[in-house]
Amino acid sequence: MYRYTDFDRQFVRARAAQYRDQLMRHLSGELGGEDFRPLRLQNGWYVQRHAPMLRVAVPYGELSSRQLRQLARIAREHDLQDAGLATERGGFGHFTTRQNLQFNWIPLPRSADVMELLADVDMHGIQTSGNCIRNITTDALAGIAPDEEVDPRPYCEILRQWSTLHPEFAFLPRKFKLAVTGAREDRAATDWHDIGLKLRRNAAGEVGFRVAVGGGMGRTPVIASVFSEFVPWQQILVYIEAIVRVYNLHGRRDNMYKARIKILVKAEGQRFVDDVNREFAALVADPSTTFVPQAELDRVAAGFAVPVQPAVDSPKASSEPLPAYERWLQRNVHAHRLAGYRAVTLSLKRAGLPPGDVTAEQMDRAAELADRYSACELRVTHDQNLLLPWVREADLRALWLAAREEGFATPNIGLLTDMIACPGGDLCALANARSIPIAAAITERFDDLDELHDIGDIDLHISGCINSCGHHHSGHIGILGVDKDGSEWYQVTVAGSDGSTISGDSAPGKVIGPSFAADEVPDVIDAVIQTYLRERGPGERFIDTSRRLGPAPFRKAADAVRRSTAAAS
Amino acid sequence: MRFITDSEPAPADALALDNTADVLTQADALQAHHAVLLNFPKWTDGRAYSQAVLLRARLKFKGDIVATGDVMVDMLPLLQRCGFSAVQLRADQNIESARRALGFFAHFYQTVPPERGTTAGAAA
Repeated sequence: MYRYTDFDRQFVRARAAQYRDQLMRHLSGELGGEDFRPLRLQNGWYVQRHAPMLRVAVPYGELSSRQLRQLARIAREHDLQDAGLATERGGFGHFTTRQNLQFNWIPLPRSADVMELLADVDMHGIQTSGNCIRNITTDALAGIAPDEEVDPRPYCEILRQWSTLHPEFAFLPRKFKLAVTGAREDRAATDWHDIGLKLRRNAAGEVGFRVAVGGGMGRTPVIASVFSEFVPWQQILVYIEAIVRVYNLHGRRDNMYKARIKILVKAEGQRFVDDVNREFAALVADPSTTFVPQAELDRVAAGFAVPVQPAVDSPKASSEPLPAYERWLQRNVHAHRLAGYRAVTLSLKRAGLPPGDVTAEQMDRAAELADRYSACELRVTHDQNLLLPWVREADLRALWLAAREEGFATPNIGLLTDMIACPGGDLCALANARSIPIAAAITERFDDLDELHDIGDIDLHISGCINSCGHHHSGHIGILGVDKDGSEWYQVTVAGSDGSTISGDSAPGKVIGPSFAADEVPDVIDAVIQTYLRERGPGERFIDTSRRLGPAPFRKAADAVRRSTAAAS
Repeated sequence: MRFITDSEPAPADALALDNTADVLTQADALQAHHAVLLNFPKWTDGRAYSQAVLLRARLKFKGDIVATGDVMVDMLPLLQRCGFSAVQLRADQNIESARRALGFFAHFYQTVPPERGTTAGAAA
């Protein structure tokens, strides 16, 4: 992992001090609520349904066991409230698709104390919200995936530093998200980002970035357009500076739904590309412009040295074949570029807890597993799970037993119940509808592992509103909460793709008819799945069948299980 | 960073530009002015930061660049680094808070064009 320097530490401390000053001015009445809002947002503090929500940055998803223990402490000591239902007392965190962690119950007057606790372990909430460049995301298998061409983490760290408190780009028209990947498989949904970066080597073996711009979800789902097939890595910050400067000057600010860069790219087309290229050329021609020096890349890359020794032992032969263990090996254990090692997903998709949620106790347990089996390191995945990146093959059986003990070993990675879901209307003030009960109902309906494995690879994504935090557009099945006359309804789509190999080219899903009532949703998902099982050809995954057939047969099957919405129409 | 007050008003011959103006087309106009006023209609509208950057770095403007409009003390570190030399704070802003706002950070991770070629800014 990247190791914070004294500079990094002082910087985070300074940010915590600056935030405390702003909070004090707010609490004393000097700084009004409306003016304080953008300042707290840029430190990760939303005000949600119950209390402020704190979004903690986990830069490119890398987390140490020490950091996770501190997050557990914050959950235990600060994410609390005394009143309300059992589910409203706090004490847990929620991992997001952008590899961050959210708390929901920390009272605002304690927020400055929490920032200092985070700073103690080199963490913060800088730019996890607001109209600025957000936390950089990447492949959860960065640095360990066998299909990786270039390790993206040093570049992510350089981008993190460059974007952190960039004074010119702190108040953009709208939020701005970057994702980076260096593998052949895109595990970071880069096409769906404001800027998607793919590291690659050219014919001469030099490293550079394929740069795509203007992807995004929300009301207008757009796949990013390729602006350049190869920007040399030394120039990438300057190229991004040119893109963001043109966006800052010309992006729409009159309508927040049209303010993302995707709208500008679509509206201006080639003119926007020309503006960016002109700005980039002017920067390159300016003798005072500097490019990233090799020495700086080397310094940062040294932090990502392999933390384990080569494995010489071979896996112990298991005494008896265990189907449950085999299933876990198949779904939750991933190939590694180092011989004798594996990456292991700790599933945060299990009955009884919302997708991506971890209690304080579970954070401590996951930290222990990381200490024992993964060189004290974890990753937060885009799919809202935790991953242990440095597990010896010889330890897999012991890890499985330990993970099972803690409820982290559900063998469902990539399957229907490994769904992405936002916190929804239970917690989020923006949501039109709740996500958590829908996720719970589907988890309950599909609790048979044989059935789940028979259904096979499938991305189910649930968003409680059109802001699309649950990435419903890119789900093979997408569920979107909508509000009609003050009650909760759900629109269902099929055949969306996040751009991964099995999903095919990135695309938003297609709607299968008018919205459904909440209590119809599990039946609708069941009907959609049964349609697939009936219609699938040999070896066909859900996404293949849904693409081949289009939405019509799914719509027909879903209409057949309507109850309240059939009566209403 | 200079604070524009009643006793120290903005330069009289300043060129006032909207935050939608393309500053790169203003090279000729700038010859006749010693100062430019850049406006923040809302403090969260960040266009004038890029305008200031372009005035300094691309047009090599050496005169005063003054931030006007809805200007809060919390903007000061950003304004300073983007090339603003003076600021007219919103009437309700506190000058003591303004001075503190400029003191939290000794160094930054990146440089913006007005800082380049100088010793200000970068850490590494």
